[in-house]
Amino acid sequence: MQAVNFIIQNILTEASITIALIAMVGLLLQKKTIGQVINGTLKTLLGFQVVAAGSTIIVQALTYFGTIFTEGFNMNGIIPSIEAINGQAMNEIGLGSEIALTFLAIFIVNLLIARFTKWKYIFLTGQANLWMATMCSVFGYFAGLRGVTLVIVGGIVGGVFAVGMPAIAQPIVRKITNSNDIALGHFCTIGYMFTAGIAKITGDITTSTEELNLPKSLEFLQDTYLSLMVVMVPLYLITAFFAGPECSYQFAGDSHYLMYAFLQSIQFVVGVYVLLSGVRLLLGEIVPAFRGIATKIVPNAIPALDCPVLFPYAPNAVIVGFVSTTIGTVIAMFVLPMFGLAMILPGILTNFFAGGTAGIFGNAVGGRRGAIISGIAHGFFITLLPALLVTIFNTLGFVNATATDVDTVVAALFYTWFITPIMNLFS
Amino acid sequence: MKKLQLLMVCGAGLGSSFACQMSVEDVVQQFDLDVSLDHTDISSAVAMRPDIIITAENFKTQFEKYQIEEKIKIIYLKNIISKKEIAEKLLPVLKEKGAL
Repeated sequence: MQAVNFIIQNILTEASITIALIAMVGLLLQKKTIGQVINGTLKTLLGFQVVAAGSTIIVQALTYFGTIFTEGFNMNGIIPSIEAINGQAMNEIGLGSEIALTFLAIFIVNLLIARFTKWKYIFLTGQANLWMATMCSVFGYFAGLRGVTLVIVGGIVGGVFAVGMPAIAQPIVRKITNSNDIALGHFCTIGYMFTAGIAKITGDITTSTEELNLPKSLEFLQDTYLSLMVVMVPLYLITAFFAGPECSYQFAGDSHYLMYAFLQSIQFVVGVYVLLSGVRLLLGEIVPAFRGIATKIVPNAIPALDCPVLFPYAPNAVIVGFVSTTIGTVIAMFVLPMFGLAMILPGILTNFFAGGTAGIFGNAVGGRRGAIISGIAHGFFITLLPALLVTIFNTLGFVNATATDVDTVVAALFYTWFITPIMNLFS
Repeated sequence: MKKLQLLMVCGAGLGSSFACQMSVEDVVQQFDLDVSLDHTDISSAVAMRPDIIITAENFKTQFEKYQIEEKIKIIYLKNIISKKEIAEKLLPVLKEKGAL
């Protein structure tokens, strides 16, 4: 019994160990060699610690930004970054183990649903699953769930999304790819379906974005970290300018306050870069293991993959969707505070990936005009939903961040509106 | 001989490059090839100096702007997880590199 207690208290509460053990079991189940098992387990452990390091960098850059934004514009400016939410939840809030186990539970529920129903989708976008596990853990915790219940409820909610989202998007994905080989596994799907709906009403299917001649200069935006910098640098500089030198002094010391702001904006991108490199190490062993298991258990499984797999099918639509979604998020940034909601700054990563995919959906259903109009509506939509969550994030102690991956936001709202009231009945 | 290094590339180096890597793995296993596979983002790709870069067609204009050593071959895919397309485009390059 003592040994069991030791394991529970000292090992399973240490998130990096939990997730490394999950990877190890996966590798052993696949009958890998000892060398491969050790290699994969250690890489997973390393990946987790790299995520933590990235998170520390992001939090630092965000804390500074939060301070100057409040001083400069007299209101709270929230940066949407699911990476920042994940990093903070794992480290500062201490939900790392819960997230790791929920992540595993989502995989298992996904497998079970795919095995026993006609929806054969296997969700293979590891980082999206990790974000979903994060939101389920954070909001489950907020609802009062703890321990095993928190993990099981998270697994069920996340697992239903993991099969349901690819399933509802599939009719349009089939239209885009002309095949049924791949599905879309990206937790922004409710936004895409919303976009497709608007495009259907406003669009004109006879024209296509792919006939447009877009300026080549926009193509650098496909380089994630570069486009992140292009937005963060002016955002930090303008904010620091309005906040003035005195406000920055506590951070910058004797260096020039605008120079400091410039370097901090790069520092934010560094944080995202480090964190995502950690995620890459973390998932490198787990995702192939899951894929191997899934293809054995689920005959005719359809892999649900990350959204850029659709980008080569309509590259112009990606740019159109990105630009129109960004316009929508900028409009929402100014409009939402008028209704007493938080000011959410445009989140460049979601704008590119989700916006780009929304553009493809809009174009597939409503042509050029549909893609543009629905893209703007999409930007508004993905800013409105997270604005509803900001108070809860603040109560839980998150620093200036929210998430714009709408499916995870909908899962979070489900927790807030249904599970929390039910939990309150029993307490 | 040194193992050939194949690098799959996408915008963030997380999702679609990884999906591509898993398909490539299936293809190279069919031919019983011992190569090393990894995936990364477009900013880091060239600096990693792999033998072959495999990426999606939409990154073509980006790669064309870079100075790339001649020994690095780049393969562009329309469907980045299609084993058929990967085999069609990858096998000639592997032959050229002497791995097949």
